[in-house]
Amino acid sequence: MSLKDKYAIVGVGYTQQGSVPGRTSLSFHLEACVSAIADTGLKKDDIDGLICYRHFPASSDENDLTPFKVAEHLGISPRYIYQDANCSRSNLQNAVGALEAGLCNYVVISFGHNALSSDSLFYLLDEFSGDDAVFGHFGATGGYALPARRAMHEYQTGPDTWKHIAVGQRKWACLNPNAVMYGKPMTFEDYMNSKWIVEPFRVPDNCLVNDGGRAIIMTSLERARDLKHKPAVIMGLGAHHPCLDIKYATAMAGPTGAKKASEEAYKMAGITVNDVDACEIYDCFTYTVEVTLQDYGFFEPGQGEDWFKGGTIEPGGRMPVNTSGGQLSEAYFMGLTPLSEAAMQIMGRCGQRQLGPKTKTKEPEIIICSDNGGILQSHSCCILRRL
Amino acid sequence: MTGYDKPLPKLNSDTRPFWEGCKKHELRFQRCLGCGHVIWPSSIICPKCHARDTEWIVASGHGIVYTYATYHVAYHPGFLSDIPYVVAIVELDEGPHLLTNIINCRVDDVKCGMDVTVVWEDVTPEISLPKFSPD
Repeated sequence: MSLKDKYAIVGVGYTQQGSVPGRTSLSFHLEACVSAIADTGLKKDDIDGLICYRHFPASSDENDLTPFKVAEHLGISPRYIYQDANCSRSNLQNAVGALEAGLCNYVVISFGHNALSSDSLFYLLDEFSGDDAVFGHFGATGGYALPARRAMHEYQTGPDTWKHIAVGQRKWACLNPNAVMYGKPMTFEDYMNSKWIVEPFRVPDNCLVNDGGRAIIMTSLERARDLKHKPAVIMGLGAHHPCLDIKYATAMAGPTGAKKASEEAYKMAGITVNDVDACEIYDCFTYTVEVTLQDYGFFEPGQGEDWFKGGTIEPGGRMPVNTSGGQLSEAYFMGLTPLSEAAMQIMGRCGQRQLGPKTKTKEPEIIICSDNGGILQSHSCCILRRL
Repeated sequence: MTGYDKPLPKLNSDTRPFWEGCKKHELRFQRCLGCGHVIWPSSIICPKCHARDTEWIVASGHGIVYTYATYHVAYHPGFLSDIPYVVAIVELDEGPHLLTNIINCRVDDVKCGMDVTVVWEDVTPEISLPKFSPD
């Protein structure tokens, strides 16, 4: 039996974000969850499912952060709880699965991290890098630089393609007062003049490091009809997890997990790429956006530069991408940055960045979203539609 | 004390045979006796056919640069004096992809597809690192 049009995102919770010193990661989870619950009009005791995005090593001044802790402070005792450990991005599938199986009725999916103002990322870097550190290979920037360079070898891509992504998303961020990069426009020259981190990536090819949190609430379409906002309905879901450590992978330049994941999602939704009005793509790096859109079928390998050229993804463009500014220019909350923005756009609640007449774009009926974990090891695709 | 200030590999029952080979300046890999696949990273099973019987082979030490990344920042103080430096994936003639460094050449001269050969760096009495140099 198809899961099409059975479940929906019904609320989004925001927090203070950017540089917010003096706050624990737990506090951001709680602020996000409470905001999301209030956004739906539900009571806390209605929430019987809790999914927390990945477990991080705690900062030196904080205790281990688990879903137990989040539930304890929220004062709830759910029937379903889950947290992934290593960015295996199945949270949406777990939520839908739990709802479909009747294990719970209202699920909150939450992320919170004081990534900028604590030392937590240093511990993560150590845990993440393992023996790769022996050769000076650390973290995600180096990790994604390897496939990005391989793509430059296999077909035409590189900074001249990626600058359109970085600059285009920055334009969206400049319409979003919550975005970390609001009021900080960027030109192609600014992009090209910025410093290398791990070549071929410059500073603006990297997602932001910020404090804050984000949460969404999911339930059945039937229950969604009683809540405050028009639901963002899940019409397609797909996932593929290549799993291979990037150093052993031979599909760095695509197809990544995004290919099979999107094929599955299009099939469930009964649509093609031509039916998509906008994209909210997991953008840990600019290259991730290119290879994901490529695998989703928007263009062939090597045609990215031509496709992006001329403001395709910007306000006023023919295929808006990452309309909050994304993780590159709004804020990083794992897969919840793209997913929450897609839901808000479908609900029509995005203020001056709202797709439609305000931004000279098509009013969104259908938005495709991605989530991606590890170094291209895990991919989840979700297609949302307006009711 | 060795004075070596960079991270060292963690030795365990899975990884020790490889690093013991390195100490003798040999790149040792398991070859599956079931299907012939060269297994890397080393394991108790072949990921292709799940056979458990393997033999150890010594790789030639030659390969090509599959991809690489040029570090312009140091994430660990031990690498501060090395930047810019190149981390590469070398595809060995025998098949395995090895994370390593390309040395003895300018960072801008590294290219995907270039031929490289192993050179050994004896960093402690126990650990020798396989790095690669252009042919």
